[in-house]
Amino acid sequence: MLKYVIKRILLMFVTFFVIATMCFILVKLLPLPNAKAQGRDYNLVLERREKMGYNKPILTQYVIYWKNVFSFGSGDSKGWTPDLGLGEQMYISQNVYDVIKEKLPYTIVVNLYSIMIAIPLGLLFGIYAALRKNKWQDHVVSTAVMLVVSVPSYVYAFLVQYFMCYKTRWFPLTVASRETATLFSFEMFKSMLPAIFSLCFGTIAVLTRFTRAELSEVLTGDYLLLARTKGLTKNQAITRHAMRNAMVPIFPQILGEFIGILSGSLIIEGIFGIPGIGKLYITSINLRDYNFFMALTFFYTLISLVAGLVTDLSYGFIDPRIKMGAR
Amino acid sequence: MKYAKKILALLLVSVMLLSTACGKKNNNTTPTTTPTTAPTGEATPTPTQEVDMPDITDLSVVKEADGTLFAGSLVSKKEQSGGGEVGYDVYTGNGSKDYTDPAYYTFNDYITDTSTLNWGPCTWETNDDSSILDRISSGYYGFALNSTKDGWSVTCELAAALPEDVTKDYVGKYGIKEGDTAKAWKIKLREDLQWNDGTPINADDFVYSAQELLDPIMLNRRADSLYAGDFAIYNAKNYIYSGKMSWEANSTDGDSAVATWETKVKGSDGVYTTPDGAKLYIGLNTAYAWMSGHTLADYKTYFPEGVYDALAAKADADGYVPATDENLAKLHEFTGIDDWGNEPEDQLIYYLSYQVENAVTKWEDVGFFKTGDYEIVLVTINSTSDPNYFVPYNLSSSYLVKKDLWEASKKYYDDNKREVTKDSANIATITTTYGTSVETTASYGPYNLTFFQADKQITFERNDKWFGYSDGNHKGQYQADKISVQVIAKHETQLLAFLKGEIDNVALQSEDMKTYSTSPYIRYTPQSYTTKITFNTDKDSLAKRGTQILANENFRHAYSLAIDRAKFASSYTSAGTAGFGLLNSMYIYDPFSGASYRDTDGAMGALVGLYGLTFGEDAEYGDLEEAYDAITGFNINEAREYMKKAYDECIADKSYDGTSKVEIEMLVYQSDDIYVQMFNFLNDALKSACEGTGFEGKVSLKMTVDADYYNTMYSGNTDMIFTTWGGAASAPYTILYECYCDDPKGEKNQMEYGYDTAAINVRINVDGDDYIASLQQWALWADDSDPDCKITSKDGSKTLGYFSEYDAMTKANFYGLLEKTYLSSFCAIPMYYRNSASLISQKGDYAITQYIDLIGFGGLQFYTFKYSDEEWEKISNTLNYE
Repeated sequence: MLKYVIKRILLMFVTFFVIATMCFILVKLLPLPNAKAQGRDYNLVLERREKMGYNKPILTQYVIYWKNVFSFGSGDSKGWTPDLGLGEQMYISQNVYDVIKEKLPYTIVVNLYSIMIAIPLGLLFGIYAALRKNKWQDHVVSTAVMLVVSVPSYVYAFLVQYFMCYKTRWFPLTVASRETATLFSFEMFKSMLPAIFSLCFGTIAVLTRFTRAELSEVLTGDYLLLARTKGLTKNQAITRHAMRNAMVPIFPQILGEFIGILSGSLIIEGIFGIPGIGKLYITSINLRDYNFFMALTFFYTLISLVAGLVTDLSYGFIDPRIKMGAR
Repeated sequence: MKYAKKILALLLVSVMLLSTACGKKNNNTTPTTTPTTAPTGEATPTPTQEVDMPDITDLSVVKEADGTLFAGSLVSKKEQSGGGEVGYDVYTGNGSKDYTDPAYYTFNDYITDTSTLNWGPCTWETNDDSSILDRISSGYYGFALNSTKDGWSVTCELAAALPEDVTKDYVGKYGIKEGDTAKAWKIKLREDLQWNDGTPINADDFVYSAQELLDPIMLNRRADSLYAGDFAIYNAKNYIYSGKMSWEANSTDGDSAVATWETKVKGSDGVYTTPDGAKLYIGLNTAYAWMSGHTLADYKTYFPEGVYDALAAKADADGYVPATDENLAKLHEFTGIDDWGNEPEDQLIYYLSYQVENAVTKWEDVGFFKTGDYEIVLVTINSTSDPNYFVPYNLSSSYLVKKDLWEASKKYYDDNKREVTKDSANIATITTTYGTSVETTASYGPYNLTFFQADKQITFERNDKWFGYSDGNHKGQYQADKISVQVIAKHETQLLAFLKGEIDNVALQSEDMKTYSTSPYIRYTPQSYTTKITFNTDKDSLAKRGTQILANENFRHAYSLAIDRAKFASSYTSAGTAGFGLLNSMYIYDPFSGASYRDTDGAMGALVGLYGLTFGEDAEYGDLEEAYDAITGFNINEAREYMKKAYDECIADKSYDGTSKVEIEMLVYQSDDIYVQMFNFLNDALKSACEGTGFEGKVSLKMTVDADYYNTMYSGNTDMIFTTWGGAASAPYTILYECYCDDPKGEKNQMEYGYDTAAINVRINVDGDDYIASLQQWALWADDSDPDCKITSKDGSKTLGYFSEYDAMTKANFYGLLEKTYLSSFCAIPMYYRNSASLISQKGDYAITQYIDLIGFGGLQFYTFKYSDEEWEKISNTLNYE
């Protein structure tokens, strides 16, 4: 097992390096924004680009980039500063790490609240539908799930905003700012609720459908019949045997949801004014803010790779029959 | 010959008088928007300029045998000294509804994005950045609503008095010669200026800030505000480029040269040098003045096969090829051909360039210095025409930085982008975080920045240290105690926030107009932007795409005539109006009268000719104004006629085979409903134009989404896109060069791929003499930013002076001819003039309802609240804006 984990981690780093290299080269191949559109004396822009090393060969720039990333001892920028803030970058001159550090908590908190609501509800609806399979209750749940899954999240985000924030005025239209509320205050939580609802609908629906399907299959197993004939009550058989087996594929799904909360939601953050990380990536590409782009590439690549690894490993912990790395 | 010129001039004057007698409109006699008064309060009449009109019978652009385009004739007049007068009386507001009001008022605003936000005076980029600066800073002078609320007046802000012309005191210095005027301006500063923390501001701060703005290592983005345009400070540009390398042409006139064929010196590496040792290079992308601004690259299709490519393979990134025997011989394979004039070998010297190091300029030599603790002098390169307006206009902003904060915000980097200390010997560049957070911001304007959260909120509160709250000159202004700016990305959320009373204005979109177009709270704001369809007209790139029919001018002309612009604008924009020219009626050609460029005879005539209308005796319309008012740009029958011609020409030149289906690609930013509807409209118009022609059923549009569509068009990888350009309404004459021409040095800017303004020669007859230059050169001349740009007459005997020397009407007439020439190629089709519609909150009122250039509706400066925050809280649930 340990050998398998080490092997996977090493492979993960190789994959990470390959992706980072590809992303760096690809984004550098994009043409720079038109210098003349940046101001009247575009020679200033060209001169700044020269100073920033934009005219050096891409591979030379790549080497400089990695040198700066690993130069932990000199200065405080370490390659994380946007490209010197010389006129065409976002968050001009500000440290990439600081900007991400400020924005990431909003994304995490909103998504965390969302899955804290979504997971129990999703499991409950799924279990309920499975236990009432093919009865009207199952049909109601399944129809609702289909509706929610079919409609894009921004549609019910707007509906939530219109009815809960504008018509009834239960909640503010957008998330509170740091000026009026701290991140973990009740006021902030209340202002986040419309976004949380909008985010959790999809997760509830997916989990409900998945749980229903898995549990329905498990409930028809011979060992469940054996458990009942041994004298277990229905509830005992479901909780002790059926649920445990059904959770084998469900748990990694939940784990994936937790890891996915770091990536944010471009649309939901835009609608509810969440100052999160959602749109940073796209903006960094559009503005050719290379250091921002690379930092975010590192971030998202690592999330994906770690998520894959953790999910794979989790199978082994949940179901001892699954052995990692076994031939 | 000289008699011929006199006769021609007499004829022109006769035509002019005749047309005037026929009732032609003279725009200078139209009522002004600004009754003007002198500082003493005495009324001063607006001067009426008696100006010769252009010969507007030259309505169409005529292509001559050698390919030169004849744009038209005009009679010029140089500027009269002195210029117009401006007013100084300011609206004093509505009782005590100003900064003295004891109740608390918050103005709630919004923006859509803060991801690029920085409001450093030296580095700001966007309009949102600028709006922050406006609140935390003041200009030397300002423009405020006048006492009669129908125009603007000039006010003194950081300055304690109006600028004083002290040019004669500096004769012999800063490039000032005996007899010069309006070049050196003494600005007396207020003595009560201070930062928001109480630190006093004096002349040293102004000089320090200017020097930092022009720092040669920092290369600040906004440095050019001190050396670009009409109010360029003497030596400011030389200071920032001091000691840097730049390219110079070996010959500027094609006649004399720094290094001649005989004096060139062969270096040890085989590369020739000037006698001074500067290496010589063949400049493939260098625009030589003696080639009318053209480059060798412009003529690459004329090179014998493989010759240009062989040279290009040896060129560096900027297109410079070392001048070795081998490379010069290769170039001569082109310059020696008959079609190029069979030039002898020694003339190769004129195609060479070399690098020079700019002279070192000390700060002491820059025309920005103090003459007292509260007195500075600014010396400009050029004389300022109409100084009563243009000096305050050019000094209506400032760029002060607070020294201690500025120095603390600097970061120093070496060549490898590693941070180093301030004392390092290897500083390659310096950057600053000044103006990127509350902590790095200092205010000297009416408000302080008190809170900033990226992508969320910006808050300003009254700056009690601002001079305006105690000087008695700002009565009736700045009632808002606090300004809260939320970041709201989605329009739907913006509208709900407005209806809920959380923000105090909201921009409307076309779909909102059904509900709110008749609202008493709606305001229409004209914008100086024109949205166009821009075409790729380059035959080679279109051939690869299978859409070479687009290179046919008649095809594009037909398409232009097939579009009902009025219907398009009313259907798909919130408040746009049908657009016909590059510039709309926002652009002011005479700042004193506020008269619109678009209303001048030259500008009207340009569009009347472009869209094929006629006027005069026996013509469709009685006079020019009537014809101009009748322009729709839409004539489907004529469109089909042009399409038939296009079909015949395409068949003849084999750019179309007569049977293939052609799909013209239109790139759009996104594929939301409105874009789809616009696309369908344009597709229908194209199909309609093709009806009854050989193209019927064979040509259509296809829509492709590309968020980077501007850059895709820059590289010629699509067929058509929407483009929108505009600029300062008071500076109409920079647009053509800034937006519609590539720079002579090769920097891409023009979106109309394939339409090479450097390769199009334009003839204009001025006062009887023919002047021929490329369209690019004409545009650069009118831009007035390059002192070396001169237009000489065809016979070489005369030179047009600087564009700025001409009077307002002549400038407008010149520009009308250039605008017409550009549009006559139909490489761009104007679609609509942008206007915006917005709803204004019931919480308060702007001072005026009619938009006025420079001051809009009076802005927050003159905004008055009907409700305090406390009162608004109670009633904001009951609002109706329909």
